[in-house]
Amino acid sequence: MSGEQPKLTEQQRQELEEKLKSMSPSELAELQKQQCIFCQIISGKINSQKIYEDDRCLAVLDINPAAKGHILILPKEHYSIMPQIPDKELGHFFIVGRALSQLLLKVLRVSGTNLFIANGSAAGQRSAHFLFHVIPRKEGDGVMEFSEKIISKEMQQKVKTAVGHKLNLLLGVNDPEPETAENEQKHSNQDITELSESKIKPKSTGKISPPTSSKKSTVSKNKPANQTKSQPIPTPEEEANPNNGPKIDLDDIANLFK
Amino acid sequence: MSCDLCDLLDREEEIIYQDNDLVVAVRDSVLSPGQITIFPRKHFTIWEMVPNTILEKCSSWAKKVCVAAFESLGSQGTNIIIRNGVGAGQTAPHFSVEVVPRQEGDGLNLIWEPKPLMEDEIESTFLALKDESGKLVLEEKKYGSRKDEINKINTDSDEKKKDKPGVKEDSSSGEKPKNDLKENYLLKSLRRRP
Repeated sequence: MSGEQPKLTEQQRQELEEKLKSMSPSELAELQKQQCIFCQIISGKINSQKIYEDDRCLAVLDINPAAKGHILILPKEHYSIMPQIPDKELGHFFIVGRALSQLLLKVLRVSGTNLFIANGSAAGQRSAHFLFHVIPRKEGDGVMEFSEKIISKEMQQKVKTAVGHKLNLLLGVNDPEPETAENEQKHSNQDITELSESKIKPKSTGKISPPTSSKKSTVSKNKPANQTKSQPIPTPEEEANPNNGPKIDLDDIANLFK
Repeated sequence: MSCDLCDLLDREEEIIYQDNDLVVAVRDSVLSPGQITIFPRKHFTIWEMVPNTILEKCSSWAKKVCVAAFESLGSQGTNIIIRNGVGAGQTAPHFSVEVVPRQEGDGLNLIWEPKPLMEDEIESTFLALKDESGKLVLEEKKYGSRKDEINKINTDSDEKKKDKPGVKEDSSSGEKPKNDLKENYLLKSLRRRP
């Protein structure tokens, strides 16, 4: 993941492998922290320009900023990808981001801010330590150009069906839709390695466009009209065992559309 | 004032998930096909107005959508983006979190060039930010109480929602988003948009 290891001789490499194998998970985590530049910034071994700090995160100025005042929010815990971060903590980082955005707008008199998260190297994640960018923006500054394009209704429906189905599985909703092999995999989402293996398998686009009727019943399962309280976000236990999670009768929901 | 995201609430076919607080949708105008947009049901114009509970929920849904995109769209990574304010590329006057699935070599260029800055420029920016950072408040209820401006803006969307039975907004009604001069400026610039 770090990709910047110095070259080792064959013997050194073997010794290192032996050593790594003999280490406990906590020792490995400790080693990972020692190797990580952001962990060293957090522990104070490397100097930084600290803007904000609390028990869960540290916000510093980026040393390679996209713009003047570009801030990084560093979780104190060493996470490598976003799904590892507990919901409560992730929410806290968004709240800190909002406060920092407020600060940038006020102090630098910019006309906007971006929160930018790169999750995975294909998305531009460059560090093994998961982090959040808060970037002050002005019109025409050329930092990031967002060009939107119009997609077809068919594409919209394909994305809706595929993602909606997967979300149902993640929520532990009984979703009898296509892909039976997929259904068997639904418990594996907490395991990051399994997740990254299964994600590589691209779907043929034809597969994810079932008839309209079943589409409707799958995706929009929560109508606010018949619920006074929003569905609670399932705990990991609920996700792992859909039988404990909230059960939603898909027929009832489908009827709402009639 | 018309709002693309408030209007989207009427288009069931674009909505993947919705509850009393937020909506997860596939918009027709996207940065990249596969993009999912998560936004509060209530019309908050900018990030600074979104109360903690709603923001936390948006973030946890962004995480879920990331995982779902990994598994269902074959994406190799995701960008989560908030475009806050016109200068940051915000198009609709309604706060949203965008999840953009990525593939190696998909041609989407969202990485910036580092901006060369003078040493004293960095230092003065740091000092200015540091100076004000003591006033950072994470609890929205401690924020300033000039709600009138915000309420005025929210009326537009509230009117729309009135004819939607059953939409309850109790979870956010007690919140007092912070409001200061800078925000007013941002809000004005957003309202000026067609």
